Amino acid sequence: MPRLPPSLFWQARQALSPLAAPLLRVCRDLPSTANELRWMREHIAVTPSLIPPKLRLWQFAERRARGEPLQYVLGTQPFGDLEIKCRPGVLIPRPETEAYTIELGRILLSSHTNNPKTKLITILDLCTGTGCIALQLFRQLQASATLLRVQGIDISPHAVSLARTNLSHNLNLNNLLVPRPPTEEANQSQTIRFTQADIFSPSFLTTQQQQQQQQQQQNQDQVDLDLLVSNPPYISQPGFARDTARSVRNHEPRLALVPELRGGSDDATQFNKGVLPEDIFYARLLDIAKTLRPKRVLLEVASMEQGSRVVDMLTQDDDTAKLYPHVEIWRDCPHAEFQRQTIGDREIRIRGSGEGRSVYLCRADM
Amino acid sequence: MLRAFGRLLGVQRRNGPWSLFNSAGPAQRFTTCPELRHKQMPQRPKPPPEDEIEESFLKGSGPGGQKINKTNSAVQLKHKPTGIVIKCQATRSRDQNRKIARDLLAAKVDILVNGDKSRAAILEVTKKKKADSAAKKRRRKYRSLEEEAEAAKIEPQIEAESGTGAAGTGPKQILHDEVYPL
Repeated sequence: MPRLPPSLFWQARQALSPLAAPLLRVCRDLPSTANELRWMREHIAVTPSLIPPKLRLWQFAERRARGEPLQYVLGTQPFGDLEIKCRPGVLIPRPETEAYTIELGRILLSSHTNNPKTKLITILDLCTGTGCIALQLFRQLQASATLLRVQGIDISPHAVSLARTNLSHNLNLNNLLVPRPPTEEANQSQTIRFTQADIFSPSFLTTQQQQQQQQQQQNQDQVDLDLLVSNPPYISQPGFARDTARSVRNHEPRLALVPELRGGSDDATQFNKGVLPEDIFYARLLDIAKTLRPKRVLLEVASMEQGSRVVDMLTQDDDTAKLYPHVEIWRDCPHAEFQRQTIGDREIRIRGSGEGRSVYLCRADM
Repeated sequence: MLRAFGRLLGVQRRNGPWSLFNSAGPAQRFTTCPELRHKQMPQRPKPPPEDEIEESFLKGSGPGGQKINKTNSAVQLKHKPTGIVIKCQATRSRDQNRKIARDLLAAKVDILVNGDKSRAAILEVTKKKKADSAAKKRRRKYRSLEEEAEAAKIEPQIEAESGTGAAGTGPKQILHDEVYPL
Protein backbone atom coordinates (compact mmCIF):
# COMPACT_ATOMS: atom_id res chain seq x y z
CA MET A 1 0.00 0.00 0.00
CA PRO A 2 1.55 3.35 -0.98
CA ARG A 3 2.15 5.89 1.78
CA LEU A 4 -0.36 8.74 1.96
CA PRO A 5 1.11 12.26 2.13
CA PRO A 6 0.57 14.03 5.50
CA SER A 7 -0.98 16.97 3.64
CA LEU A 8 -3.88 14.72 2.71
CA PHE A 9 -4.62 14.08 6.40
CA TRP A 10 -4.56 17.85 7.00
CA GLN A 11 -6.91 18.37 4.11
CA ALA A 12 -9.29 15.70 5.45
CA ARG A 13 -9.27 17.36 8.89
CA GLN A 14 -9.89 20.81 7.46
CA ALA A 15 -12.34 20.01 4.69
CA LEU A 16 -14.36 17.15 6.15
CA SER A 17 -14.18 16.56 9.86
CA PRO A 18 -11.66 15.79 12.61
CA LEU A 19 -12.93 12.21 12.37
CA ALA A 20 -11.96 12.03 8.71
CA ALA A 21 -8.23 11.84 9.36
CA PRO A 22 -8.25 8.39 11.00
CA LEU A 23 -10.81 7.16 8.45
CA LEU A 24 -8.46 8.15 5.66
CA ARG A 25 -6.12 5.33 6.71
CA VAL A 26 -8.64 2.74 5.52
CA CYS A 27 -10.54 4.68 2.86
CA ARG A 28 -7.33 5.87 1.13
CA ASP A 29 -8.84 8.92 -0.61
CA LEU A 30 -10.93 11.98 0.24
CA PRO A 31 -14.11 11.27 -1.79
CA SER A 32 -14.62 7.80 -0.32
CA THR A 33 -13.86 9.13 3.19
CA ALA A 34 -16.51 11.81 2.71
CA ASN A 35 -18.98 9.19 1.47
CA GLU A 36 -18.40 6.84 4.39
CA LEU A 37 -18.80 9.69 6.88
CA ARG A 38 -22.03 10.70 5.15
CA TRP A 39 -23.37 7.15 5.28
CA MET A 40 -22.50 6.92 8.98
CA ARG A 41 -24.35 10.19 9.67
CA GLU A 42 -27.35 9.05 7.61
CA HIS A 43 -27.42 5.74 9.47
CA ILE A 44 -27.28 7.54 12.84
CA ALA A 45 -30.10 9.86 11.77
CA VAL A 46 -32.49 7.01 10.93
CA THR A 47 -31.69 4.57 13.75
CA PRO A 48 -32.74 5.64 17.24
CA SER A 49 -30.32 5.03 20.08
CA LEU A 50 -29.72 6.12 23.65
CA ILE A 51 -26.14 7.04 22.80
CA PRO A 52 -25.82 10.70 21.72
CA PRO A 53 -25.34 11.05 17.92
CA LYS A 54 -21.92 12.68 18.11
CA LEU A 55 -20.57 9.97 20.39
CA ARG A 56 -21.99 7.32 18.09
CA LEU A 57 -20.34 8.88 15.07
CA TRP A 58 -17.03 8.92 16.92
CA GLN A 59 -17.47 5.26 17.89
CA PHE A 60 -18.29 4.28 14.31
CA ALA A 61 -15.32 6.19 12.91
CA GLU A 62 -13.04 4.64 15.51
CA ARG A 63 -14.11 1.11 14.65
CA ARG A 64 -13.89 1.75 10.93
CA ALA A 65 -10.45 3.32 11.32
CA ARG A 66 -9.26 0.08 12.91
CA GLY A 67 -10.12 -1.67 9.65
CA GLU A 68 -13.49 -3.17 10.46
CA PRO A 69 -15.72 -3.30 7.35
CA LEU A 70 -18.32 -0.52 7.17
CA GLN A 71 -21.06 -3.15 6.88
CA TYR A 72 -20.16 -4.64 10.26
CA VAL A 73 -19.92 -1.17 11.81
CA LEU A 74 -23.34 -0.07 10.55
CA GLY A 75 -24.79 -3.58 10.76
CA THR A 76 -26.44 -3.57 7.34
CA GLN A 77 -25.76 -3.72 3.60
CA PRO A 78 -28.33 -2.96 0.89
CA PHE A 79 -28.76 -5.86 -1.53
CA GLY A 80 -31.11 -5.37 -4.47
CA ASP A 81 -34.46 -4.37 -2.98
CA LEU A 82 -33.55 -5.64 0.46
CA GLU A 83 -31.62 -4.55 3.48
CA ILE A 84 -29.37 -7.35 4.66
CA LYS A 85 -28.10 -7.40 8.23
CA CYS A 86 -24.43 -8.17 8.61
CA ARG A 87 -22.69 -9.56 11.67
CA PRO A 88 -19.10 -10.58 12.28
CA GLY A 89 -18.79 -14.28 11.52
CA VAL A 90 -20.84 -14.17 8.32
CA LEU A 91 -19.57 -13.00 4.93
CA ILE A 92 -20.78 -9.59 3.75
CA PRO A 93 -22.77 -9.65 0.47
CA ARG A 94 -20.77 -8.24 -2.44
CA PRO A 95 -22.04 -5.99 -5.25
CA GLU A 96 -20.99 -8.56 -7.88
CA THR A 97 -23.23 -11.13 -6.20
CA GLU A 98 -26.04 -8.58 -6.23
CA ALA A 99 -25.58 -8.00 -9.97
CA TYR A 100 -25.83 -11.65 -11.03
CA THR A 101 -28.61 -12.43 -8.55
CA ILE A 102 -30.82 -9.72 -10.06
CA GLU A 103 -30.01 -10.98 -13.56
CA LEU A 104 -30.82 -14.54 -12.48
CA GLY A 105 -34.15 -13.43 -11.03
CA ARG A 106 -34.94 -11.73 -14.32
CA ILE A 107 -34.18 -14.92 -16.29
CA LEU A 108 -36.31 -17.10 -14.00
CA LEU A 109 -39.15 -14.58 -14.14
CA SER A 110 -39.18 -14.39 -17.94
CA SER A 111 -39.02 -18.18 -18.35
CA HIS A 112 -41.85 -18.51 -15.83
CA THR A 113 -44.08 -16.05 -17.65
CA ASN A 114 -43.22 -17.67 -21.01
CA ASN A 115 -44.47 -21.11 -19.99
CA PRO A 116 -47.22 -20.66 -17.44
CA LYS A 117 -47.66 -24.44 -17.32
CA THR A 118 -44.83 -24.70 -14.81
CA LYS A 119 -46.47 -23.46 -11.68
CA LEU A 120 -43.88 -24.45 -9.15
CA ILE A 121 -40.51 -22.75 -8.84
CA THR A 122 -37.99 -24.37 -6.52
CA ILE A 123 -34.65 -22.83 -5.71
CA LEU A 124 -31.79 -24.25 -3.68
CA ASP A 125 -29.14 -21.83 -2.43
CA LEU A 126 -26.07 -23.57 -1.04
CA CYS A 127 -23.59 -21.72 1.21
CA THR A 128 -26.21 -19.05 1.68
CA GLY A 129 -24.43 -16.96 4.35
CA THR A 130 -26.61 -13.94 5.12
CA GLY A 131 -29.31 -15.46 2.91
CA CYS A 132 -29.04 -12.56 0.49
CA ILE A 133 -29.31 -14.54 -2.77
CA ALA A 134 -32.22 -16.66 -1.57
CA LEU A 135 -34.09 -13.66 -0.18
CA GLN A 136 -33.56 -11.48 -3.25
CA LEU A 137 -34.69 -14.25 -5.64
CA PHE A 138 -37.70 -14.85 -3.40
CA ARG A 139 -38.51 -11.17 -3.53
CA GLN A 140 -38.21 -10.98 -7.32
CA LEU A 141 -40.38 -14.04 -7.98
CA GLN A 142 -42.92 -13.47 -5.23
CA ALA A 143 -45.35 -11.36 -7.22
CA SER A 144 -45.78 -13.78 -10.15
CA ALA A 145 -45.09 -17.30 -8.87
CA THR A 146 -47.99 -18.88 -7.03
CA LEU A 147 -45.93 -21.86 -5.92
CA LEU A 148 -42.49 -20.88 -4.79
CA ARG A 149 -40.07 -22.86 -2.66
CA VAL A 150 -36.73 -21.41 -1.72
CA GLN A 151 -34.28 -23.19 0.53
CA GLY A 152 -31.02 -21.77 1.82
CA ILE A 153 -28.39 -24.05 3.33
CA ASP A 154 -25.22 -23.21 5.22
CA ILE A 155 -22.85 -25.12 7.44
CA SER A 156 -22.45 -22.29 9.93
CA PRO A 157 -25.17 -21.96 12.58
CA HIS A 158 -24.39 -18.22 12.82
CA ALA A 159 -25.12 -17.82 9.13
CA VAL A 160 -28.38 -19.76 9.33
CA SER A 161 -29.63 -17.73 12.29
CA LEU A 162 -28.61 -14.47 10.58
CA ALA A 163 -30.41 -15.53 7.39
CA ARG A 164 -33.57 -16.16 9.42
CA THR A 165 -33.13 -12.77 11.11
CA ASN A 166 -32.79 -11.19 7.68
CA LEU A 167 -36.04 -12.79 6.56
CA SER A 168 -37.97 -11.35 9.52
CA HIS A 169 -36.10 -8.02 9.26
CA ASN A 170 -37.15 -7.54 5.64
CA LEU A 171 -40.69 -8.64 6.43
CA ASN A 172 -40.80 -5.94 9.09
CA LEU A 173 -39.46 -3.39 6.61
CA ASN A 174 -42.20 -4.43 4.14
CA ASN A 175 -39.55 -5.37 1.59
CA LEU A 176 -41.07 -8.82 1.34
CA LEU A 177 -44.62 -10.07 1.29
CA VAL A 178 -45.50 -12.52 4.03
CA PRO A 179 -44.77 -16.05 2.75
CA ARG A 180 -47.94 -18.04 2.41
CA PRO A 181 -47.67 -21.30 4.30
CA PRO A 182 -48.80 -24.48 2.56
CA THR A 183 -52.53 -24.92 3.04
CA GLU A 184 -55.01 -27.69 2.26
CA GLU A 185 -55.07 -26.84 -1.39
CA ALA A 186 -51.37 -26.69 -2.13
CA ASN A 187 -51.80 -24.55 -5.24
CA GLN A 188 -50.85 -21.39 -3.47
CA SER A 189 -47.89 -21.55 -1.21
CA GLN A 190 -44.69 -19.61 -1.01
CA THR A 191 -42.11 -20.84 1.44
CA ILE A 192 -38.58 -19.83 2.22
CA ARG A 193 -36.51 -21.61 4.81
CA PHE A 194 -32.95 -21.76 5.98
CA THR A 195 -31.42 -24.94 7.33
CA GLN A 196 -28.04 -25.94 8.62
CA ALA A 197 -26.32 -28.75 6.74
CA ASP A 198 -22.91 -29.83 5.50
CA ILE A 199 -23.11 -30.21 1.73
CA PHE A 200 -20.15 -32.61 1.79
CA SER A 201 -21.87 -35.10 4.07
CA PRO A 202 -23.33 -38.12 2.25
CA SER A 203 -26.63 -37.69 4.09
CA PHE A 204 -27.10 -34.27 2.52
CA LEU A 205 -27.81 -35.65 -0.94
CA THR A 206 -30.14 -38.38 0.30
CA THR A 207 -32.25 -35.91 2.30
CA GLN A 208 -32.46 -33.61 -0.68
CA GLN A 209 -33.53 -36.49 -2.94
CA GLN A 210 -36.14 -37.59 -0.42
CA GLN A 211 -37.55 -34.07 -0.32
CA GLN A 212 -37.74 -34.02 -4.10
CA GLN A 213 -39.56 -37.35 -4.17
CA GLN A 214 -42.03 -36.11 -1.59
CA GLN A 215 -42.76 -33.08 -3.71
CA GLN A 216 -43.22 -35.25 -6.77
CA GLN A 217 -45.76 -37.39 -4.93
CA GLN A 218 -47.63 -34.28 -3.84
CA ASN A 219 -47.76 -32.72 -7.27
CA GLN A 220 -48.02 -35.94 -9.30
CA ASP A 221 -45.59 -34.82 -11.95
CA GLN A 222 -41.90 -34.45 -12.56
CA VAL A 223 -40.54 -31.69 -10.33
CA ASP A 224 -36.90 -30.87 -10.86
CA LEU A 225 -35.17 -28.04 -9.09
CA ASP A 226 -35.43 -24.86 -11.12
CA LEU A 227 -32.20 -23.38 -9.88
CA LEU A 228 -29.17 -24.44 -7.92
CA VAL A 229 -27.19 -21.35 -6.95
CA SER A 230 -24.10 -21.18 -4.80
CA ASN A 231 -21.47 -18.70 -3.70
CA PRO A 232 -19.03 -21.17 -2.14
CA PRO A 233 -15.63 -20.38 -0.62
CA TYR A 234 -13.21 -20.21 -3.55
CA ILE A 235 -9.98 -18.49 -2.49
CA SER A 236 -6.77 -20.54 -2.41
CA GLN A 237 -4.56 -20.63 0.70
CA PRO A 238 -1.79 -18.48 -0.84
CA GLY A 239 -4.41 -16.27 -2.51
CA PHE A 240 -5.93 -15.57 0.90
CA ALA A 241 -2.62 -14.29 2.22
CA ARG A 242 -1.73 -12.37 -0.96
CA ASP A 243 -4.82 -11.07 -2.80
CA THR A 244 -7.42 -10.38 -0.14
CA ALA A 245 -7.97 -6.93 1.30
CA ARG A 246 -6.89 -6.38 4.89
CA SER A 247 -10.42 -5.79 6.16
CA VAL A 248 -11.50 -9.08 4.56
CA ARG A 249 -8.54 -11.04 5.94
CA ASN A 250 -8.81 -9.71 9.47
CA HIS A 251 -12.54 -9.39 9.98
CA GLU A 252 -14.48 -11.72 7.70
CA PRO A 253 -14.83 -15.45 8.40
CA ARG A 254 -12.15 -17.62 6.81
CA LEU A 255 -14.69 -20.44 6.63
CA ALA A 256 -16.64 -18.52 3.99
CA LEU A 257 -13.55 -17.64 1.94
CA VAL A 258 -11.06 -20.52 1.86
CA PRO A 259 -12.32 -24.04 1.13
CA GLU A 260 -11.19 -26.48 3.80
CA LEU A 261 -12.44 -29.96 4.32
CA ARG A 262 -13.01 -30.76 7.95
CA GLY A 263 -14.03 -34.35 7.41
CA GLY A 264 -10.48 -35.70 7.48
CA SER A 265 -8.51 -37.70 4.95
CA ASP A 266 -11.47 -39.68 3.59
CA ASP A 267 -13.17 -36.62 2.17
CA ALA A 268 -9.89 -35.19 0.99
CA THR A 269 -9.04 -38.21 -1.15
CA GLN A 270 -12.56 -38.49 -2.37
CA PHE A 271 -12.71 -34.94 -3.66
CA ASN A 272 -9.09 -34.34 -4.51
CA LYS A 273 -8.96 -36.39 -7.70
CA GLY A 274 -7.04 -33.95 -9.83
CA VAL A 275 -8.91 -31.02 -8.34
CA LEU A 276 -7.12 -27.99 -6.95
CA PRO A 277 -7.80 -27.34 -3.25
CA GLU A 278 -9.64 -24.08 -4.04
CA ASP A 279 -11.95 -25.93 -6.46
CA ILE A 280 -13.18 -28.72 -4.20
CA PHE A 281 -16.53 -27.06 -3.64
CA TYR A 282 -17.18 -26.94 -7.38
CA ALA A 283 -16.47 -30.67 -7.70
CA ARG A 284 -19.02 -31.36 -5.01
CA LEU A 285 -21.55 -28.86 -6.39
CA LEU A 286 -21.35 -30.46 -9.86
CA ASP A 287 -21.88 -33.83 -8.16
CA ILE A 288 -24.99 -32.46 -6.49
CA ALA A 289 -26.17 -31.02 -9.80
CA LYS A 290 -25.71 -34.40 -11.45
CA THR A 291 -27.94 -36.08 -8.86
CA LEU A 292 -30.62 -33.43 -8.38
CA ARG A 293 -30.68 -32.38 -12.08
CA PRO A 294 -31.63 -28.70 -11.58
CA LYS A 295 -32.76 -26.89 -14.71
CA ARG A 296 -30.25 -24.10 -14.15
CA VAL A 297 -27.06 -23.86 -12.13
CA LEU A 298 -25.09 -20.78 -11.19
CA LEU A 299 -21.78 -20.95 -9.34
CA GLU A 300 -19.79 -17.88 -8.35
CA VAL A 301 -16.07 -18.07 -9.17
CA ALA A 302 -13.06 -15.89 -8.43
CA SER A 303 -11.80 -15.29 -11.94
CA MET A 304 -11.93 -16.30 -15.58
CA GLU A 305 -9.31 -19.01 -14.94
CA GLN A 306 -11.31 -20.60 -12.17
CA GLY A 307 -14.42 -20.38 -14.35
CA SER A 308 -12.60 -22.23 -17.13
CA ARG A 309 -11.47 -24.88 -14.65
CA VAL A 310 -15.09 -25.40 -13.59
CA VAL A 311 -16.14 -25.76 -17.24
CA ASP A 312 -13.31 -28.30 -17.67
CA MET A 313 -14.57 -30.28 -14.69
CA LEU A 314 -18.02 -30.23 -16.24
CA THR A 315 -16.80 -31.56 -19.59
CA GLN A 316 -14.73 -34.32 -17.98
CA ASP A 317 -17.87 -36.01 -16.74
CA ASP A 318 -19.96 -37.22 -19.70
CA ASP A 319 -23.28 -37.27 -17.88
CA THR A 320 -23.14 -33.70 -16.63
CA ALA A 321 -21.70 -32.51 -19.95
CA LYS A 322 -24.71 -34.00 -21.75
CA LEU A 323 -27.10 -32.66 -19.14
CA TYR A 324 -25.82 -29.09 -19.48
CA PRO A 325 -24.96 -28.35 -23.10
CA HIS A 326 -25.55 -24.65 -22.61
CA VAL A 327 -22.65 -23.09 -20.68
CA GLU A 328 -22.02 -19.41 -20.03
CA ILE A 329 -19.49 -17.49 -18.00
CA TRP A 330 -20.80 -14.21 -16.65
CA ARG A 331 -18.53 -11.31 -15.90
CA ASP A 332 -19.00 -8.72 -13.11
CA CYS A 333 -21.83 -6.88 -14.87
CA PRO A 334 -23.84 -9.48 -16.77
CA HIS A 335 -26.11 -6.95 -18.50
CA ALA A 336 -24.11 -6.63 -21.69
CA GLU A 337 -24.01 -8.78 -24.83
CA PHE A 338 -22.33 -12.12 -25.53
CA GLN A 339 -18.93 -13.07 -26.82
CA ARG A 340 -18.04 -16.59 -27.88
CA GLN A 341 -14.97 -18.45 -26.75
CA THR A 342 -13.84 -22.06 -26.84
CA ILE A 343 -12.49 -23.74 -23.73
CA GLY A 344 -11.07 -27.19 -24.50
CA ASP A 345 -13.29 -28.51 -27.29
CA ARG A 346 -16.35 -26.75 -26.05
CA GLU A 347 -17.75 -23.43 -27.16
CA ILE A 348 -19.02 -21.28 -24.32
CA ARG A 349 -20.54 -17.82 -24.17
CA ILE A 350 -19.04 -15.01 -22.16
CA ARG A 351 -21.43 -12.36 -20.96
CA GLY A 352 -20.95 -8.79 -19.77
CA SER A 353 -17.89 -6.83 -18.78
CA GLY A 354 -15.33 -6.99 -15.98
CA GLU A 355 -13.65 -9.96 -14.31
CA GLY A 356 -15.12 -13.46 -14.77
CA ARG A 357 -17.54 -13.90 -11.91
CA SER A 358 -19.87 -16.88 -12.31
CA VAL A 359 -20.49 -20.03 -14.33
CA TYR A 360 -24.05 -20.44 -15.58
CA LEU A 361 -25.31 -23.81 -16.77
CA CYS A 362 -28.61 -24.49 -18.43
CA ARG A 363 -30.25 -27.81 -19.29
CA ALA A 364 -30.99 -28.69 -22.91
CA ASP A 365 -34.77 -28.72 -22.46
CA MET A 366 -34.88 -25.18 -21.15
CA MET B 1 -40.87 -18.86 21.38
CA LEU B 2 -40.66 -15.10 21.83
CA ARG B 3 -39.40 -14.68 18.30
CA ALA B 4 -42.25 -16.77 16.92
CA PHE B 5 -44.70 -14.61 18.84
CA GLY B 6 -43.11 -11.47 17.43
CA ARG B 7 -43.37 -12.84 13.93
CA LEU B 8 -47.03 -13.55 14.51
CA LEU B 9 -47.58 -9.96 15.61
CA GLY B 10 -45.65 -8.73 12.60
CA VAL B 11 -47.86 -10.75 10.31
CA GLN B 12 -51.01 -9.31 11.76
CA ARG B 13 -49.69 -5.79 11.58
CA ARG B 14 -48.97 -6.12 7.90
CA ASN B 15 -52.43 -7.05 6.74
CA GLY B 16 -53.00 -3.49 5.64
CA PRO B 17 -51.69 -1.51 2.69
CA TRP B 18 -50.17 -4.01 0.29
CA SER B 19 -50.01 -1.56 -2.54
CA LEU B 20 -47.66 0.77 -0.66
CA PHE B 21 -44.62 -1.34 -1.43
CA ASN B 22 -45.86 -3.04 -4.56
CA SER B 23 -44.55 -0.95 -7.39
CA ALA B 24 -47.90 0.17 -8.69
CA GLY B 25 -48.23 2.58 -11.58
CA PRO B 26 -46.74 6.04 -11.23
CA ALA B 27 -50.15 7.68 -11.59
CA GLN B 28 -51.42 6.32 -8.28
CA ARG B 29 -51.39 8.81 -5.46
CA PHE B 30 -52.25 8.11 -1.86
CA THR B 31 -54.15 11.15 -0.70
CA THR B 32 -57.56 11.53 0.82
CA CYS B 33 -58.18 15.02 -0.53
CA PRO B 34 -57.20 15.20 -4.19
CA GLU B 35 -58.83 18.62 -4.65
CA LEU B 36 -56.01 20.16 -2.63
CA ARG B 37 -53.83 19.90 -5.72
CA HIS B 38 -55.45 21.85 -8.50
CA LYS B 39 -52.87 21.64 -11.19
CA GLN B 40 -51.29 18.36 -12.22
CA MET B 41 -47.54 18.70 -12.56
CA PRO B 42 -45.91 17.03 -15.57
CA GLN B 43 -44.87 13.39 -15.08
CA ARG B 44 -41.29 12.54 -14.26
CA PRO B 45 -39.42 12.03 -17.53
CA LYS B 46 -38.68 8.40 -18.47
CA PRO B 47 -35.01 7.41 -18.55
CA PRO B 48 -33.55 7.19 -22.07
CA PRO B 49 -33.37 3.70 -23.66
CA GLU B 50 -30.54 1.46 -22.46
CA ASP B 51 -28.77 1.36 -25.84
CA GLU B 52 -28.21 5.13 -25.65
CA ILE B 53 -26.52 4.83 -22.26
CA GLU B 54 -22.94 3.90 -21.56
CA GLU B 55 -22.64 2.65 -18.01
CA SER B 56 -19.48 2.25 -16.01
CA PHE B 57 -18.80 1.37 -12.41
CA LEU B 58 -16.00 3.37 -10.91
CA LYS B 59 -14.03 0.63 -9.28
CA GLY B 60 -10.34 0.02 -9.33
CA SER B 61 -9.01 -2.84 -11.39
CA GLY B 62 -7.84 -6.03 -9.73
CA PRO B 63 -9.62 -8.84 -7.94
CA GLY B 64 -13.22 -8.49 -6.87
CA GLY B 65 -15.81 -10.77 -5.36
CA GLN B 66 -14.98 -12.30 -2.01
CA LYS B 67 -11.38 -11.09 -2.07
CA ILE B 68 -12.13 -7.42 -1.52
CA ASN B 69 -14.91 -5.50 0.14
CA LYS B 70 -15.18 -2.12 -1.52
CA THR B 71 -17.76 0.32 -0.28
CA ASN B 72 -17.48 2.21 -3.55
CA SER B 73 -20.87 1.87 -5.18
CA ALA B 74 -20.56 4.74 -7.66
CA VAL B 75 -22.28 4.53 -11.01
CA GLN B 76 -21.40 6.70 -13.99
CA LEU B 77 -23.72 7.08 -16.93
CA LYS B 78 -22.98 8.70 -20.26
CA HIS B 79 -25.81 9.60 -22.59
CA LYS B 80 -24.31 8.95 -26.01
CA PRO B 81 -26.44 11.28 -28.20
CA THR B 82 -25.99 14.34 -25.97
CA GLY B 83 -22.75 13.56 -24.16
CA ILE B 84 -24.25 14.25 -20.73
CA VAL B 85 -22.35 12.48 -17.95
CA ILE B 86 -23.96 11.67 -14.61
CA LYS B 87 -22.15 10.27 -11.58
CA CYS B 88 -24.08 8.96 -8.64
CA GLN B 89 -23.07 7.58 -5.26
CA ALA B 90 -26.11 8.57 -3.23
CA THR B 91 -26.58 5.23 -1.48
CA ARG B 92 -24.47 2.22 -0.54
CA SER B 93 -26.37 0.05 -2.99
CA ARG B 94 -25.13 0.00 -6.56
CA ASP B 95 -28.52 -1.20 -7.74
CA GLN B 96 -30.26 1.79 -6.18
CA ASN B 97 -27.57 4.12 -7.48
CA ARG B 98 -28.19 2.81 -10.99
CA LYS B 99 -31.87 3.72 -10.70
CA ILE B 100 -31.15 7.14 -9.19
CA ALA B 101 -28.55 7.92 -11.85
CA ARG B 102 -31.03 7.04 -14.60
CA ASP B 103 -33.62 9.39 -13.09
CA LEU B 104 -31.05 12.19 -12.84
CA LEU B 105 -30.01 11.60 -16.44
CA ALA B 106 -33.62 11.66 -17.58
CA ALA B 107 -34.14 15.02 -15.85
CA LYS B 108 -31.01 16.50 -17.47
CA VAL B 109 -31.97 15.26 -20.92
CA ASP B 110 -35.47 16.63 -20.37
CA ILE B 111 -34.06 20.08 -19.57
CA LEU B 112 -31.83 19.98 -22.62
CA VAL B 113 -34.58 18.86 -25.01
CA ASN B 114 -37.63 20.70 -23.70
CA GLY B 115 -36.06 23.83 -22.23
CA ASP B 116 -38.78 25.96 -20.65
CA LYS B 117 -41.34 23.19 -21.01
CA SER B 118 -39.29 20.62 -19.11
CA ARG B 119 -40.54 19.30 -15.79
CA ALA B 120 -37.74 20.96 -13.86
CA ALA B 121 -38.45 24.38 -15.44
CA ILE B 122 -42.19 24.10 -14.82
CA LEU B 123 -41.62 23.06 -11.23
CA GLU B 124 -39.25 26.00 -10.80
CA VAL B 125 -41.81 28.46 -12.18
CA THR B 126 -44.56 27.04 -9.94
CA LYS B 127 -42.30 27.20 -6.93
CA LYS B 128 -41.36 30.79 -7.69
CA LYS B 129 -45.00 31.76 -8.11
CA LYS B 130 -45.84 30.22 -4.78
CA ALA B 131 -42.91 31.93 -3.07
CA ASP B 132 -43.81 35.29 -4.64
CA SER B 133 -47.42 35.04 -3.59
CA ALA B 134 -46.39 34.02 -0.10
CA ALA B 135 -44.02 36.99 0.08
CA LYS B 136 -46.76 39.29 -1.13
CA LYS B 137 -49.17 37.99 1.49
CA ARG B 138 -46.51 38.37 4.12
CA ARG B 139 -45.82 41.97 3.11
CA ARG B 140 -49.50 42.78 3.10
CA LYS B 141 -50.00 41.20 6.51
CA TYR B 142 -47.09 43.00 8.13
CA ARG B 143 -48.03 46.30 6.53
CA SER B 144 -51.53 46.09 8.00
CA LEU B 145 -50.09 44.97 11.32
CA GLU B 146 -47.74 47.92 11.31
CA GLU B 147 -50.56 50.28 10.51
CA GLU B 148 -52.60 48.87 13.36
CA ALA B 149 -49.67 49.21 15.71
CA GLU B 150 -49.16 52.82 14.67
CA ALA B 151 -52.83 53.55 15.13
CA ALA B 152 -52.66 51.95 18.56
CA LYS B 153 -49.63 54.10 19.35
CA ILE B 154 -51.45 57.30 18.39
CA GLU B 155 -54.62 56.50 20.33
CA PRO B 156 -53.15 56.53 23.85
CA GLN B 157 -51.51 59.84 22.99
CA ILE B 158 -54.86 61.24 22.06
CA GLU B 159 -56.38 59.95 25.27
CA ALA B 160 -53.53 61.39 27.30
CA GLU B 161 -53.87 64.68 25.52
CA SER B 162 -57.60 64.75 25.98
CA GLY B 163 -56.91 64.10 29.66
CA THR B 164 -54.69 67.13 29.88
CA GLY B 165 -57.05 68.99 27.58
CA ALA B 166 -59.20 69.69 30.63
CA ALA B 167 -56.66 72.35 31.50
CA GLY B 168 -57.36 73.90 28.15
CA THR B 169 -53.81 74.01 26.74
CA GLY B 170 -53.75 70.86 24.47
CA PRO B 171 -53.59 71.04 20.68
CA LYS B 172 -57.07 69.60 20.42
CA GLN B 173 -58.35 72.47 22.41
CA ILE B 174 -56.56 74.84 20.09
CA LEU B 175 -57.97 73.05 17.09
CA HIS B 176 -61.38 73.22 18.58
CA ASP B 177 -60.91 76.89 19.24
CA GLU B 178 -59.77 77.43 15.68
CA VAL B 179 -62.73 75.66 14.16
CA TYR B 180 -65.29 77.06 16.43
CA PRO B 181 -64.02 80.40 17.62
CA LEU B 182 -66.03 81.56 20.55
